[in-house]
Amino acid sequence: MNAQAAYGILAHGLIFGAFVALLPLGELRARAALAATTVALLAGIAPVMHGIFGTPSLTLLQLAILQLANKTPSPLGHRPALGLLAFAIPFYAAALGTGAFDPYALGYQPAALLAALMPVAAVLWWRRRDVWLLILAVDLAGYASGAFANLWDVLFDPLLVLLAAVIVGRRGVLRLIASRLR
Amino acid sequence: MIALPQKLPRWLAPALFVAALGAAFWRAPNPAPPAFVPPPAAAASPLPALFAAQMLPQAAESAHAATLAQLADGRLAAAWFAGSREGAADVAIWFSTLSRDGWSRPQPIANRESTAGGVFAHVRKVGNPVLYVEGSWLHLWYVSVGIGGWAGSSINHSVSTDGGQSWTKPAKLQTSPFANISTLVRTPPVPLADGGLGLPVYHEFIAKHGEWLRLSPTGQILDKTRMAHPVSTLQPAVVALDAQRALALLRDAGPGPGRVQVATTANGGERWTAGEPLPIPNPNSSVALLRLKSGRLLLAGNPPDGREALLLWISADDGETWQASRSIEAAADSGAEFSYPALLLGRDGRIHIAYTWRRQGIKVASFSEAWLDGGQP
Repeated sequence: MNAQAAYGILAHGLIFGAFVALLPLGELRARAALAATTVALLAGIAPVMHGIFGTPSLTLLQLAILQLANKTPSPLGHRPALGLLAFAIPFYAAALGTGAFDPYALGYQPAALLAALMPVAAVLWWRRRDVWLLILAVDLAGYASGAFANLWDVLFDPLLVLLAAVIVGRRGVLRLIASRLR
Repeated sequence: MIALPQKLPRWLAPALFVAALGAAFWRAPNPAPPAFVPPPAAAASPLPALFAAQMLPQAAESAHAATLAQLADGRLAAAWFAGSREGAADVAIWFSTLSRDGWSRPQPIANRESTAGGVFAHVRKVGNPVLYVEGSWLHLWYVSVGIGGWAGSSINHSVSTDGGQSWTKPAKLQTSPFANISTLVRTPPVPLADGGLGLPVYHEFIAKHGEWLRLSPTGQILDKTRMAHPVSTLQPAVVALDAQRALALLRDAGPGPGRVQVATTANGGERWTAGEPLPIPNPNSSVALLRLKSGRLLLAGNPPDGREALLLWISADDGETWQASRSIEAAADSGAEFSYPALLLGRDGRIHIAYTWRRQGIKVASFSEAWLDGGQP
């Protein structure tokens, strides 16, 4: 098993545990999350997630660890989720073959992308989004470790985007329900 | 937003970011512009007219998508996928070598279980293999699918240093951001001047087009380029014409009756430009391309109506014009399928072609340039 495969399966185990930790389990929450992580790793759930969603990003892994550590509310609130969706949907459409330009290819020799992250980091620091700045720092350190071939893969992944869609969609549904109840 | 502990100073996050950014800049590849290993100077082939064909030993009911390589010790090696039917869970990649005693009994070198065990991910089926010899290393790339059909494929890479007897655990090539889906391989790589390889691959999800992966000498992906076409294309077969120029011929995936599609590069594969399709029909079937000892190009493919014949064409002007050459095999019955050719130039100048034979097995034919030119064995 190579480093990327090992990372992928372990990360998916933790992510599965973090999803379970989202459930309203009260005092059982921590034990249920630990049990879910173990079951995911031993019972084949993590390999299936790895097969379906691919290698998870370091951003998603860090959000999962924060969730498991009960650091709530999650940094992935409505606005960050909306921003991620707005970026990821056209990105995936282009990378999966719509048009001639493949933005994913930029991540293999990512000097320009790294340079573009500097103003992003400056804005995060200016607006005191220190958690996101630390997440970004860990992402870059993960890329620098050599375990990832493409910089995009440390930043986000389909499961994270799906989570963002759920967050954005949930607020939309709640607003719709509220407007009908008035 | 969660609050960080009060004792963390404000400068810590930006300082860590700057340190990580510096490390990432240090890690980011910055390779020299790509160039091909120039092909050897053209020379006349001294071989007389010869042609011989042989079925490989049957591995399973259904076989498809053969690939050929010549090992460091001179033996021919073939790999293909076979099982109860294409896409079935019991399909494996089979491997056989040619010695004085004929083709060896095929051995399975990869299947869904071994692949899942190597990449630690669910694998539903395996498909197209590609063999390539690089010194004492024998590379194997093959596709596998975790979910869905072939459009959900990704590429696995494994290496043997003992002529195919044992293989490293496969590693996935990370070629797509969306669950790493929809990059497939079918044709052999082209050596690059920096010691790396250019691997022709293709994409099938949403759109169908050829792609080009630039691999470093250690196998890391350095670049990925699309071969955009106005029509759907698959399975680019590539030959280098000199250090900067290369020709890719592609399967026409429709819609409608197709012709062999063309892409060219003039900068070592950094950018590919669609060319005019060849006046050679392509019924949505795989083609193979080879540069011969004489410097001419050899193309193998199928006739306009289907896969009931396997035909050859030759170009003496780097692919500008093509002339029909010989037919490898043809039949008129309903089960006739002679498809998915793989071409290989042996070190002795012999040309080898492996192809799917009626989906029942793999056949390998060996011939010389003199036979191509009309000589009788």
